[in-house]
Amino acid sequence: MRRILLAPLDPVHDIGLKLIARGLSAAGYATLLLPPDLTTEEIIEQALQYNPAVLLLSRTLGYGVAENLARMVDLADAAGLRDNMKIGVGGMAIRSELAAELGFDAGFGQGTSVEQVVCFIEGTEYNPEVLRSGKTKRNLTDGYDYAWRHAGIAAKIDRITDQIIDWASRRTSPGVERAKLRDAAWDVDLWRARMGVGDFYQHYAPLCGELPANFYADGQLHPKTRRFSQQEVDGLEQYLAETKLRMSVQSLQHKRPGPLVFNQYGTGCPFMDIGHILASEAWGADGVIHFDPSWGARTEGLLDGFLTHQEDGTVITPANLNRIQRALEPSTLWQVRAHRGLNTPETVVLAGKIGADLTKINICYGSLAAGTDPARMTIDGYHAILYAKQYGMPFDVVTNEELSGVPAHKAFAGMLIVAGLARKLGARPILQPLFACSPEVMINGLMEDNYIDFNAAKIIALRAILNAPLWPGAPVGFLTHTEDRVQSAMTTALHACLAATLNVDAVSIASTDEAYSGGPISAPAKIDTLRAVQEGFRFFGRAGIAPTDQAQVFADQLVDGIEKTLTSVLACGDFVAALHAGCLGSREEGANPGRAGKDTVKSKTTI
Amino acid sequence: MVQSLEKVMDAIDVETLLVCASEAEGRSLMLDILKGFGFTDVDVVFAQFEGPGVRIRGRAYIHRPADKYQWLKQTGKAG
Repeated sequence: MRRILLAPLDPVHDIGLKLIARGLSAAGYATLLLPPDLTTEEIIEQALQYNPAVLLLSRTLGYGVAENLARMVDLADAAGLRDNMKIGVGGMAIRSELAAELGFDAGFGQGTSVEQVVCFIEGTEYNPEVLRSGKTKRNLTDGYDYAWRHAGIAAKIDRITDQIIDWASRRTSPGVERAKLRDAAWDVDLWRARMGVGDFYQHYAPLCGELPANFYADGQLHPKTRRFSQQEVDGLEQYLAETKLRMSVQSLQHKRPGPLVFNQYGTGCPFMDIGHILASEAWGADGVIHFDPSWGARTEGLLDGFLTHQEDGTVITPANLNRIQRALEPSTLWQVRAHRGLNTPETVVLAGKIGADLTKINICYGSLAAGTDPARMTIDGYHAILYAKQYGMPFDVVTNEELSGVPAHKAFAGMLIVAGLARKLGARPILQPLFACSPEVMINGLMEDNYIDFNAAKIIALRAILNAPLWPGAPVGFLTHTEDRVQSAMTTALHACLAATLNVDAVSIASTDEAYSGGPISAPAKIDTLRAVQEGFRFFGRAGIAPTDQAQVFADQLVDGIEKTLTSVLACGDFVAALHAGCLGSREEGANPGRAGKDTVKSKTTI
Repeated sequence: MVQSLEKVMDAIDVETLLVCASEAEGRSLMLDILKGFGFTDVDVVFAQFEGPGVRIRGRAYIHRPADKYQWLKQTGKAG
């Protein structure tokens, strides 16, 4: 059994060394831990008597400490100990470079693992990748049977979704036709092999609006976009090749398996996005979400080419998505949002072909708070759900209309209609309630005491209605963030921890730039919240956050409000009419039926 | 700029993500950046290296304890 002598040079602090000693004993080494505050001479005397294979010292670096450490090395040399004994030093602020300068065989900083020390003792290479959790992709919908748990709500949604399916069976739109063409005639394998896509664009361009039509006619780009140069592309390839060699991914979760943590990217530039994604992955994000420009949702048709954009949101093109997909770590879940505009079904098709894991669809949000005509959003959303099923992509049903002022019970009724429709069509929806201090919350004082009860109530209510995965977002803590990075990281972490203790499946988190509007989000701001969430998960472990009794009161009110909202939708007799009538969010509440794509829905016989 | 720096109570921190291949390289880059700004009393407070680079906080001390603080008006005579 190899002997290890451990000696704290620090006058008081020896906790780190105690932990290492305990770990080495468990690993089968004979250890002798000396008391603190011995002189260097006394430690050398002990080493001569104990004859260890390795001497491990610990010391927090401070004034004059480097000289003491160097003296220890000199004395060990003089005593002839170095021939058969290695010396390592560890502690706060100790770095391997400094340890080597002082003559030690190794230096260990804060957070050193027992495995790292064992590798030093045994003279083997320390490979943290072997020891890190092997992250693998997880399907958020596994284990959910989508069984209704509330008979009254289930019956109403059954009738509403039957009406939607009947309505959709007789209609189409330019977006639906482009999606059909993309699905049938755009071969991703041929495209990736640079073998062309046949006459796809001859049929595609006539289905597009002015901007993409001009692009396909004579190469005109959107004024805020440009193509990358070959030199830039070569630079990206080199950057990626070098970074991938060093790449590893952390896990944020501690004792709980979840929730998975997603953050969003979309600086406008796919290169910067890739840099941000790599940072997110390295610092623990389980998934990333593609954020496209707002004009993309109001444009009939997608552009092509490897394009960078000067403003917020990264343009959806096959080349942009493909480059980003190729840069992802194998464990990273990739969501491409399709939820709100005129390219919803085609975006789902393209994302599916390129290899996305998840998408995002919500007919109600897209119609009431994102500017798309309700009829157009309904027919496009219906087909998007079918394509999501075809390409094996679960999708979240976001409820961001709450941010416009729509009460949670109405936004949830809309979400449950879309989820019920997806359930009926065989797709895999994920419920996405907001964890937010929304206008409804502010006006009615629902979070005057705490941010816990109303958010917890949403989870309690949804679980009482449908057995489906839950993914609060987007991002958690919406409208509680300020520009102060400490406050912002704190509120994100606390909301993520609330989600964790409620055992939800995933969360979307913001960066600490969430409330800053003066420029793009920075990479350090993304790392801030990932570190904060990781520390939060570590703090709570399997322990819980206890809502007050008010959470159940709120939950009961939500369930009651959802059922009443569905009754009003049924009374309208038509889902699209109900969207216009304000059943799922009225103008007074802040919802405004969109106009993009108005009058573009056609009977199947007339197109 | 110099007059503005006089208003710093003790130190300026610079935190960023540097694209580099090791923590040591990142530390060196941060010290270069701070010296490039004209600071002389510089250090690295925190550095965490992961594959894409180092998340790092560099520090430049403007006033150490027991210095003559330029933000404190020196009106009286030394006694």
